[in-house]
Amino acid sequence: MSLRIVGDTNIDFLGKRRAAYVGAILVVLLGLVAVGILMTGGGNLSIQFVGGSQVEGHFAQAVDISEIREALSSAGLGDAEIVHLQGRRQEHSFLIRFKAEQMETTQRAQHVLAALAQFFPDNVFTREYVHDVGPAVGATLKQDTFKAIAISLIGILIYVAIRFDLRFGLTATLATFHDVMAVMAFTYLIGMQIDILVVSAILTVAGYSLTDKVVVYDRIRENLRKFQRKSDFLPGVNRSINEVLSRTIMTGMATLSVLVVMLFFAGPVLFDFSLVLLTGILVGTYSSCFVAAPIYVDWENRRPKRFKA
Amino acid sequence: MARGQGWKIGLILVATLGSLWFLWPTIRLWQMSPEDRDAFAQTDPKGWQQLQKKAMKLGLDLRGGMRVVLEVDKSELNPDEAKDAVERAKEILRNRVDEFGVTEPLIQIQGEDRIVVELAGITDVHRAEELIGRTAQLEFRLLESPEQAQLLLDRIDRTLEAVAGLDTTRRALPSDTGTGTDVLDELFGSDTGSTQARDTAETAPDPVSDSPQLATDAAGGRLPPQVPSERPLSSLLSPSAAGPGWIVESDDVPLVKVLLAREDVKRLIPADVEFAWGTRPEFVGSLETERLYLAKRQAEMTGNYLTDARPSFDQFRKPIVNFELTRDGGRTFGRLTGANIGKPLAIVLDGRVESAPEIQSRIRDRGQITLGGGTYDDANDLAIVLRAGALPAPVSIVESSVVGPSLGSDSIRRGVLSSLIGGASVVVIMLVYYQLSGLIANFGMMLNGLFLLGVMAILHATLTMPGIAGIILTLGMSVDANILIFERIREELRAGKTVRHAIDAGYSHALVAIVDSHVTTLITALALFLFGTGPVKGFAVTLFWGVLINLFTAVFVTRAVFDVRKGYAKLSI
Repeated sequence: MSLRIVGDTNIDFLGKRRAAYVGAILVVLLGLVAVGILMTGGGNLSIQFVGGSQVEGHFAQAVDISEIREALSSAGLGDAEIVHLQGRRQEHSFLIRFKAEQMETTQRAQHVLAALAQFFPDNVFTREYVHDVGPAVGATLKQDTFKAIAISLIGILIYVAIRFDLRFGLTATLATFHDVMAVMAFTYLIGMQIDILVVSAILTVAGYSLTDKVVVYDRIRENLRKFQRKSDFLPGVNRSINEVLSRTIMTGMATLSVLVVMLFFAGPVLFDFSLVLLTGILVGTYSSCFVAAPIYVDWENRRPKRFKA
Repeated sequence: MARGQGWKIGLILVATLGSLWFLWPTIRLWQMSPEDRDAFAQTDPKGWQQLQKKAMKLGLDLRGGMRVVLEVDKSELNPDEAKDAVERAKEILRNRVDEFGVTEPLIQIQGEDRIVVELAGITDVHRAEELIGRTAQLEFRLLESPEQAQLLLDRIDRTLEAVAGLDTTRRALPSDTGTGTDVLDELFGSDTGSTQARDTAETAPDPVSDSPQLATDAAGGRLPPQVPSERPLSSLLSPSAAGPGWIVESDDVPLVKVLLAREDVKRLIPADVEFAWGTRPEFVGSLETERLYLAKRQAEMTGNYLTDARPSFDQFRKPIVNFELTRDGGRTFGRLTGANIGKPLAIVLDGRVESAPEIQSRIRDRGQITLGGGTYDDANDLAIVLRAGALPAPVSIVESSVVGPSLGSDSIRRGVLSSLIGGASVVVIMLVYYQLSGLIANFGMMLNGLFLLGVMAILHATLTMPGIAGIILTLGMSVDANILIFERIREELRAGKTVRHAIDAGYSHALVAIVDSHVTTLITALALFLFGTGPVKGFAVTLFWGVLINLFTAVFVTRAVFDVRKGYAKLSI
């Protein structure tokens, strides 16, 4: 007999939808706030978008952040953001960062390295990663990223509009929007630095989230053909969700396991990326069951199209 | 096996073998130890180059190296020149970079006027940036005669002295503040013994409203306080013992530049000459100095006529660049040198004078450039840029990043580890939950990975760290399609259908959802590919192809395997 993680369930997904709506609205609001902050120049945008310089590396021996700041101040670079990187393979790893607003010229990274070499002659600083971005380049990247996001969204909208009727399409898109906002809120709350990789992860979440909604909707659509009476509608949708539940959970598990592995083993370069995907997929799975279908149901109940009373 | 299924197995086999064939160079290259590689490079350099060309490229974040984005300043070009300026710049940069000896440099045009240069394994960032960023416009110019130069200097001095005279803040300090004068002398030096100006802003009346001529002389306003009132410019210049031009102490250089930039000074300079600085500072004893020349604007000859340039040493063991000229160039050069024996000839590179040696005899088609205070590396780099040619327009570095090699190899290790562990966990999940069918799905997943790598090899795609993430993600998502199918099959079996019907129903019902879900991911991957750069593009490529190939492996391949077992009564699922 085959292993079944979820038996014949009969969870009332739709019954809890009030709570889900409240949660959804809160999450979307917070997400919009986060996006608003990023757009107006606040938040934690990487130098790729804002322009600036970043130096990452490690010292041979322990160093205090205040000492580093002293070293940088002596070279007129005291405004830098200095972060002690924890959990790296190399101890005494530091990140030094300037945003472009704080300085006008590029190629500060070399100055930083020179200042460190001068101030700590016996404590070798090995640079691992150095990046200078002129503000014009940052602006170009911002534009290109917007274009990418816009094209993704438009493409998805068009596809959904073609494949599904308006209501399905709209509600699925709304639910996906909720998922993306949830991820944005999350990144804002933990102060994650938004670089182009994180943006890619968010876009991937959008694609994946929509996938999930589509699967649920496909089943609902299939089952809808079977019942005609309005009173069958709500339980029918509920049953549809229950039917796809094991698929949803299994897929979630497979993808999540891969992401958890990446989180622990792929190192700092992909950490934020994996974290975003992980959060996005968890939220996406949740919203497919608790947010997407309920919106459709309620809309149908207010403005019946399928079922004349 | 059912009839007519043979072609399916055949197709899968062809795809598998094809992928392996395209991946073979990569596999071969990557499993070679460094010693093997060196040995191979020695014995068969051509084959070595071919192998590297065919193998999959690693991105900078995995190899280590530097990446520079240059912006071409087209502002001074006319529209015709501007059109292919960036293309030409790219070719010239390619030539320069080739000389650097980098394996597989990447030089690409980005947008309207940017060029991306990626150099793997480069650690000397300064030298690379210098090499890439110099315009390298070489000109041979004559200098203004010493007599005329002195006349100009005197004229400038007189004009500046007049300005200083009007400046009421520059007043002689009263003699009873004897200590004050002494202090000033100490601070500013007392060459002529006259008082230096000192801003006494607290007691002095407002100089601008005080001296109407000064106000209208917005040609420069007041002289900087450190500049003396007598012989303002000349006192900062010292005659050069070993050649034409003057020597300026490096501390004074900003002052001189300010004075020379004044409108009233610029008006005095004749149209056919200009002041030009030396290329790099020199040390006179322990004092750092820079050279200043008064050169004719006219370029008697340019670097366009160079056919070759080689670094070398002259008889004084100083580094030089030997150059050869074309026939036309030789004629022009011969005329030039023949008519000006005994006079200095300035070798101007990007507006700065490298050196100005005296023409000793007529030179026809070979010559040498003496470096002003440079090293052999400087000579070599100069030779490189001269050979490659001058850039059609100046470029500036707008972005630069360096990835250390240890970070690169670290990332590779982690990437491979994550792929293996991630893949293994999915394999386990599928096996445990779906048993033998899970095995089939795993088989599909592995083929998915293989075909993906094969496609990347065919496309000569570059593998980056996010690209590896894309591969891992594909592996995780690849089983989604199979899970959809299997859950459906289970349902059908529970509903009482036969194995054969259950499989058919499972595949046909799930297909719609599978296609829908893949298309949405494909759209986002495509958008990222179109607008992403570098690492992001790498991610978009692996995600895109991974998902596309998944449609093939998850549906077609696994179905083919199932069809083999269709006749069975029970299904292990």
